[in-house]
Amino acid sequence: MEQPNQLILEMQQGNEKAFSRLYSMYSEAVHGIIYSIVLDENIAEEVLQDVFIKIWNNSSTYSVHKGRFFTWILNIARNTAIDETRSKSFKNAKKNLSTTNFVDIISSSDSLNKKTNAIGIKKFVDALKPACIKIIDLLYFKGFTQAEASKTLDIPLGTLKTRNRACINDLRVMVLG
Amino acid sequence: MTAEELIASGKLELYVCGALAEDEIDEVERAISEFPEVKKETELIEDSLINLAETVAPPLPAMVWTYILNSIRKVRELKEPKVRAINWPAITGWAAAILFMGGIMWMLKQNNELNNDIQITNIENTLLKEEKNKFESQLADNNEILEILRSKDYQTYTLPGNQAVAPEAFAKVYLNKNEVVAYIDVKGLPSAPRGKVYQVWSLKMEPLTPSSMGLIEAPNEVGNGIYKFSDFPVAEAFGITLEPEGGSKTPTLTQLYILGTVNI
Repeated sequence: MEQPNQLILEMQQGNEKAFSRLYSMYSEAVHGIIYSIVLDENIAEEVLQDVFIKIWNNSSTYSVHKGRFFTWILNIARNTAIDETRSKSFKNAKKNLSTTNFVDIISSSDSLNKKTNAIGIKKFVDALKPACIKIIDLLYFKGFTQAEASKTLDIPLGTLKTRNRACINDLRVMVLG
Repeated sequence: MTAEELIASGKLELYVCGALAEDEIDEVERAISEFPEVKKETELIEDSLINLAETVAPPLPAMVWTYILNSIRKVRELKEPKVRAINWPAITGWAAAILFMGGIMWMLKQNNELNNDIQITNIENTLLKEEKNKFESQLADNNEILEILRSKDYQTYTLPGNQAVAPEAFAKVYLNKNEVVAYIDVKGLPSAPRGKVYQVWSLKMEPLTPSSMGLIEAPNEVGNGIYKFSDFPVAEAFGITLEPEGGSKTPTLTQLYILGTVNI
């Protein structure tokens, strides 16, 4: 999908309609990222609200000439969600999150998203190699830098890059056909 | 690095994830703007990842968007009053009200002070009036006495002090023999010591018969050291003695201050 630069520019000028359309385009993906981090539907909704309010308030700091809009909001979403998991109230309510990743969520979910090829994804994640799960989880859902992921998984940077590409390529074949 | 090499390097995936190192981002962005196939590839990677994340998302209630919309509108509404200029009419109004109140307070205070001043002046006026009345009545008394003493009915005698007791003393007597009235001026007598009082006697010489005429005391005073006596036996001489308070029946001759004859 080509980035909707026109909508982004309009939002930056305070156009609520443009902001509403951008919300429709990105909110579910952002929600998925947040949920994979906080693992609580109510908290995920609150964080999503915060994230989009931040997007609106800080829209002027993004430039359509630099970086993907999705990457920009992805960073805001991951940071806000991670901040939330570090808050006192969150720590009191939740104990251990580390063992759950996106595959666990997809496998255990009954009401998967209608917009996407849910069955295909389910098949894909069932067949996904454990290495791919870990790489995508760290780089995409958890927001690790390539250096951090390389260190955590104990694989060379070059290998990490090519393996990540291969994993996302598999994903792409499944979801986009 | 050619477009194909860049695509194969796996950098685009990291770029979309936001995991690429700073120095590599420039290279990727330059390639994206330069090569349509790199841009297309980036978009496909992004679509795949968006799809994956959407799959993970639980159902999203419509309320969430309503909440976001309300929040950003609230922020905008809260910002507006800050922009608005200072409300001069209100400030002027309040300032005027405060000045007005201050003015009234000041005037009340002034009024109070003036009222106090008037009261003080009234009291002073009353005191002055009383004094004036006193002086007027004194003046009238003195004039009356002066009129009496000037009249031809009265003879004046200066009675000398007793050489033995009070050589410096003297007393003046204004005597009306027809009506038997005497005014005695005791300005020349020393003032009586405490517990003592001067007593005036009329004296007949042959034989020496003293009769008390009265005391030099307030009830007999008609003004300014002048005492009036009447209805006393016809006298050939007058004497003044110092007696214990209340006076004596007979004169104490050792305390005879004044003695003098009056010609008949």
